Amino acid sequence: MIHDLIAIVDQYWLLLLIGQYPNGPLGGLANTLILSALSIAIAFPFAILLAFARLSKYRILRWPVTVLVYVTRGVPLLMLVLWSYFLVPLLTGADVPSFLTMLTTLVVYQGAFLSEIIRAGIVALGQGQMDAARALGHSYFSAMRYVILPQALYNMIPSMLSTFVATIKDTTLGYVINVPDLTFAASQVNNQLLTQPFQVFLILALTYYVICWSLTWLTNVVERRITRRRAGLVAPKRRGQLPISLTPNATEQP
Amino acid sequence: MTASTSTSAKDQAIRLADVRKSYGDYDVLKGIDATVARGEVVVICGPSGSGKSTLIRTVNRLEEINSGSIFFEGQDVHAQMSGRDLNRLRSRIGFVFQSFNLFPHLSAVDNVAMSPIRVKGVAPAEAHEKALKLLDRVGLREKANSYPGQLSGGQQQRVAIARALAMEPPVMLFDEPTSALDPEMVGEVLNVMKSLAAEGMTMMCVTHEMGFARDVADRIWFIDAGQIIETATPEEFFKNPRHPRAQRFLADLRH
Repeated sequence: MIHDLIAIVDQYWLLLLIGQYPNGPLGGLANTLILSALSIAIAFPFAILLAFARLSKYRILRWPVTVLVYVTRGVPLLMLVLWSYFLVPLLTGADVPSFLTMLTTLVVYQGAFLSEIIRAGIVALGQGQMDAARALGHSYFSAMRYVILPQALYNMIPSMLSTFVATIKDTTLGYVINVPDLTFAASQVNNQLLTQPFQVFLILALTYYVICWSLTWLTNVVERRITRRRAGLVAPKRRGQLPISLTPNATEQP
Repeated sequence: MTASTSTSAKDQAIRLADVRKSYGDYDVLKGIDATVARGEVVVICGPSGSGKSTLIRTVNRLEEINSGSIFFEGQDVHAQMSGRDLNRLRSRIGFVFQSFNLFPHLSAVDNVAMSPIRVKGVAPAEAHEKALKLLDRVGLREKANSYPGQLSGGQQQRVAIARALAMEPPVMLFDEPTSALDPEMVGEVLNVMKSLAAEGMTMMCVTHEMGFARDVADRIWFIDAGQIIETATPEEFFKNPRHPRAQRFLADLRH
């Protein structure tokens, strides 16, 4: 069993790592990481904008974004992926690469989830912080930037982490529209071997687990550092500061 | 009831003219006319729900009003103006909240220094130096690097006063600054406010601390059901309140 796993990795590691590259498009683990990182990097600021719009006093901003968030959250990601894959070329006539289709879909989908988390974090702070900042002469955005968001985002780290981990796992759905990612590579390996699906997909699962676990670990380190700084050095050590789910699979979404 | 209307416009720090505000059908402020002269300390008192906090929050436009005008150094606070102008105006009116509202993610010194840096564009080193001086003034220099969560209520409120002072406002507003404090911490905050008053700061202060009102106020506004029904010097007010509602209020306090 272990020998099988080692043999598979030994033989196919390059394919699993970078796909057909340089003879074909970049794929494998590299592409999965790039897709994940880009999705998170774009979805995060996008989600902050969505949250601002949801909290805006202007209906023209609030309503369309509310609709977007509700629709996105009420539809399975796979549906959205298929829609953008078939519908966007039909509507625009442009041939969009599947990587870009997947990236855009993930940004919109995870952006919607993230925006609700961020919005909740902002609302939970209460009016007092905003009042205090405004009374000192900060503009709305200055108050958001220097007073509200540093607190809201910090408080929401556990929930946002769940969404980030979910994003990484959701990149696997790119498989259905032929995004050459890690899942795609593993499936190619499986098609060549034919007899060892359990071993191949165990390697796949382990790899995803390590990626997601690393992100969780990294976030915990960052969070602990912030907590320690905010608690000051003289503060008594508090145990179990925040209820953080340490398992990457604790990310339930409808 | 418009006391000291005799002061010339130049000496007026704040003037309220027929200020009205309602939440739906409920009238919170029913035509407030009053003036705060430069260097004057006004204490606003009255039963809860009378509109004291709402009134003081309209002065820096944390609350909008329905009609009337509020002038701060001759400038109409509630006039149509750009966000930038309103922010500049607010930065010149110090405000201290009942619940402190310190920024919990910043240390005491950063709480004080942040707004001068971000709003006024003061150089960080200079702002920090000044913040330390202000913390020294409220007796908390040694707590400069503590976070709000590590400070007592009284200490937090003193940092909040230093934070408001950092913007160098000519006027300070206090909205029940000691109401959220344990009794033993009230004194330290009132002492800071007293020293401010002694330095000639113009102050509007909503408070239930009648001792403070007696010692420090130049004038007391007694407000009930959205109207100022009595303005008097502390001496007159405590010895000989004219309005029956004020008499009852003081009688209740003595019990």
